[in-house]
Amino acid sequence: MTTSLLMSKTRGIFKLRSSISFGYMYSVRQGGTYYFVKSYNAVPSPKELQDDLVRSFFFFDIIRGGLSSLSYLFREPVTINYPFEKGPLSPRFRGEHALRRYPSGEERCIACKLCEAICPAQAITIEAEERADGSRRTTRYDIDMTKCIYCGFCQEACPVDAIVEGPNFEYSTENREELLYNKEKLLNNGDKWEPEIAANIHADHLYR
Amino acid sequence: MLRSSIQKAAKVSRRCVHIGNTNKAAVAKPSAEQTLLEVYIDDKKVLVEPGTTVLQAAALVGVEIPRFCYHERLAIAGNCRMCLVEIEKSPKPVAACAMPVMNGWRVKTNSEMTRKAREGVMEFLLVNHPLDCPICDQGGECDLQDQSMAFGSDRSRFTDIDFSGKRAVEDKDIGPLVKTIMTRCIHCTRCIRFASEVAGVDDLGTTGRGSDMQVGTYIEKMFLSELSGNVIDLCPVGALTSKPYSFTARPWETRKIESIDVLDAVGSNIVVSTRTNEVMRILPLLNEQVNEEWLADKSRFSYDGLKTQRLAFPMVKFDSGELKAVEWEDTLKHAAQALNNANGQIVGIAGPLVDAEALIAFKDLLNKLGSEHVYTENAFPLSGSGIDIRASYLFNSKIVGIEQADLVLLIGTNPRYDAPLINTRIRKSYVHNELDVALIGPKIDLTYDYEHLGNSASTVKDLISGSHPFNKRLAQAKKPLIILGAQQLKRSDGAALLAAVQQLAKKTAEISKVDASWKVFNLLQEAASQVAALDLGYKPGISNLKSLPAKVLYLLGADDSDVLKESIPTDTFVIYQGHHGETGAELADVIFPGVTYTEKQGTYVNTEGRAQQTLNAVTPPGYARTDWKILRALSEIAGKTLEYETLQEVRKRLEEVSPNLTSYGNVQESNFIAQATELSKSVKNNLESKPIDLKLKKLEDYFMTDVISRSSVTMSKCIQAVLKQKQNKYYDGVEK
Amino acid sequence: MERVLLVYEKILRKIGLEKFGNLIEIIRINDGPVNSLKKLTYYDDLKKGTLVGTDEFGNRYYNNNYYFFGRNRWVEYADHVGFNYDGSQVPPEWYGWLHYKTDYLPENDPTRPNYPWVLKPSENLTGTKAAYMCYSTTKPKIVVWTPQSKQKA
Repeated sequence: MTTSLLMSKTRGIFKLRSSISFGYMYSVRQGGTYYFVKSYNAVPSPKELQDDLVRSFFFFDIIRGGLSSLSYLFREPVTINYPFEKGPLSPRFRGEHALRRYPSGEERCIACKLCEAICPAQAITIEAEERADGSRRTTRYDIDMTKCIYCGFCQEACPVDAIVEGPNFEYSTENREELLYNKEKLLNNGDKWEPEIAANIHADHLYR
Repeated sequence: MLRSSIQKAAKVSRRCVHIGNTNKAAVAKPSAEQTLLEVYIDDKKVLVEPGTTVLQAAALVGVEIPRFCYHERLAIAGNCRMCLVEIEKSPKPVAACAMPVMNGWRVKTNSEMTRKAREGVMEFLLVNHPLDCPICDQGGECDLQDQSMAFGSDRSRFTDIDFSGKRAVEDKDIGPLVKTIMTRCIHCTRCIRFASEVAGVDDLGTTGRGSDMQVGTYIEKMFLSELSGNVIDLCPVGALTSKPYSFTARPWETRKIESIDVLDAVGSNIVVSTRTNEVMRILPLLNEQVNEEWLADKSRFSYDGLKTQRLAFPMVKFDSGELKAVEWEDTLKHAAQALNNANGQIVGIAGPLVDAEALIAFKDLLNKLGSEHVYTENAFPLSGSGIDIRASYLFNSKIVGIEQADLVLLIGTNPRYDAPLINTRIRKSYVHNELDVALIGPKIDLTYDYEHLGNSASTVKDLISGSHPFNKRLAQAKKPLIILGAQQLKRSDGAALLAAVQQLAKKTAEISKVDASWKVFNLLQEAASQVAALDLGYKPGISNLKSLPAKVLYLLGADDSDVLKESIPTDTFVIYQGHHGETGAELADVIFPGVTYTEKQGTYVNTEGRAQQTLNAVTPPGYARTDWKILRALSEIAGKTLEYETLQEVRKRLEEVSPNLTSYGNVQESNFIAQATELSKSVKNNLESKPIDLKLKKLEDYFMTDVISRSSVTMSKCIQAVLKQKQNKYYDGVEK
Repeated sequence: MERVLLVYEKILRKIGLEKFGNLIEIIRINDGPVNSLKKLTYYDDLKKGTLVGTDEFGNRYYNNNYYFFGRNRWVEYADHVGFNYDGSQVPPEWYGWLHYKTDYLPENDPTRPNYPWVLKPSENLTGTKAAYMCYSTTKPKIVVWTPQSKQKA
């Protein structure tokens, strides 16, 4: 009842629309709970009918679409061509973990276990003991990279900037075992990436 | 009926109200209510006895006042000033730990003045405290950390770290157990007070004043005491930390399992901290009845012995004479065959660390196989009352009884090393209750003065006859105690000595007219398993294997038995079941790997007769299994199945034999002492003239006494440290 | 060849076919049509840019701000890797520049330390025999007794 009332009030507008549109686009059931979005009974004029027929017969729409696709061949692509071009990264990017060293070559980690405590995924396992020189060092520093959620809490908890999430994200592996990082792997990462990690920390030094 | 129960309930509730209104002290002495002082802590009224300090009064109403130097079991020092509180009408804040309350005082622990005072004290402490929490072992359980979070200022004024630097103090080397980082010291002097009051070793002290003050040992020497580990717990900061535990774990990542120590017969309550299935450290657990809050060094530090020399696989000796690890099934079959072939000619010896569950299973199995020869390692004479009356092998007056005693006569025991925590009780009583001590045995350092009555066993005879000058002193005593060391019962005249001491106890009780409930005779056991074994009817002590028909020798954790020192016949099949590879395992034809006290739920009965249980802290290594389960499996394979399958059923069986074994935490009052004494008269009183000797006389003897402590590297370091100390030119020659 | 291409390029530009001129220029810069085809096969793209540097592995780094941000810096992997190029072959020195973190080239960057202990970078070795495999760095927790048998008398 309400619908038909609505329709009767707005019919004029639909008619106006249909005159500028392509005509019979939708066959819409009358009544019921449907709303008419197009005029359902706009009988195409002979001109419209002719245009439609020509368009369909010569595949104009498909050709136009194909040409449109073809045009992108000659335009500058919007995607970047990884791995030759790489997207911008923030110095704060949180990628593969690394254990850093002091400039002297001494490892930074003092086994305070704050990262282990804060890790929400419990991905870090640390075992520590006194080194021969009396300093506090880890004997085991394992990160299960399959558990890690890359929240960066570990590097924020670290009082000596030892554990960092480095810039590297290109370390995907073929099996999970390779993602169970131990201390030597992490230190190796640090030793390889130190130039970049140090530059990142420097870039962020005003905000730390 | 209904009314009577309502009345009862009403009475109870009235009493409850009464307790709620007043305090503990008032309940204990209702007659002294007039003399009680009325104090208001944060407007909460509390009635306390005169002499109570502000801090204690606050504790009664549940107000926690921060403190560093104050400790309930030590003398009041009042030097950290952290407990400053405002008292109404007092112009200055007052140190709550040292100030006795006065009537009508209104203490404000929440006022602005108190807050400011605390912040100020904290600021001063932190100015000279290093910010090395990340590498500090106290981190996470540090009073300074906690209290600076709770009571310190939220911002620092310490910006100029370059003016002269923070205070730095050189670390002291005080031995292989306690690590010192003296820069962290806040001079609370708890360690010094502990050493001189509880441990009785006046090694620690302070030098210098003001910011030059240092805690140290005056001259370079080690703090060597059998209780040195307790200063680690006492230190509110990380100045004194545990050396073996250093850097290995954090308090928040360890699992704490409450258990029982079995390395001496005291049965100290302990907390085993574990992490990744490894025992990280052992701490004392408060039990006023047993160990208060102290723990002896051997119990605390020998846990690294749990990780070395372990038997982790069942082994069988092959024809080549080589021990090889084999499957459980084959090992059990091999052993069962030997047991069945022995026709009951089996001798079983249970070691000092075996739990009651294994003891009962062991005895039941051997009995089922037709053997009655189940022995313990430690001796106890079977003449007289033998093991029929518990009172003759227990520490009857209980450990807390020492605090009431006014005279202790030690016969052939060195409680300082046999049971360090009983020695601290004696010393506590000596310091606070004017306890007198006398000793029969070689001269030793007990950390307190004592009257030395010679080292001859005949002195006991003299005391009984009344001819000894010390009899006068015995007669004066109101609550005398006689403590006999169990090690003396191994003497050839052990039976006579025990009988004589029992007689002496009876005579002492008579001449000093003690209360009927006061028990004079006490036996100080050495092994944790001994009391339970005697309760279960084991035969104590075996010295000679040749007199027995022994086709199979079954050693249940027995490594120290005299039997092993002599030659074992080649045709004797030796089964060793235990957790450490040592003398017993070396001789064995079959090895069953058992578990240590941290790996099982087991019952141990301490020297008082108090049954307590250990709990599983870690899982056993390799294929090691709980001892009673091994015995149960063996019984099934040998065709003599024991009738229990679960721990509950084993304990039910224990209860059948002796109900006190499963009444955990309680001590059954020992009785029939008179009867035991009466029976002891039948023993021929022929004491030998050879002097009484002690097993553990010096500190270096103390550290390694059983398989666990003998496997411990820490303990061997301790011995080396003591021996090195004795080389020191400043060493005064007196046993410290 | 190059000269011919240059002529073509100029003619095309002259007659207003700017884009075709660019194409010829790119082919010319990339050493002729054969090489260009080769590069196109390797890199899926053909670009012109200035060579700003070469790293120790022989990877060549180019810059051309004609392309939009994100495409204006690129790397051509060392010739010897062939089709086995991988993103992880870019050493940390060039990583920042290539990822637009810094505009400094590695040799000019003052924030990029080079300590003697810094290791030579390696590519992602997964799938090779040299790949990292997890192992324990600790001693065993329990020392098991080694059987020593004593002879009974």
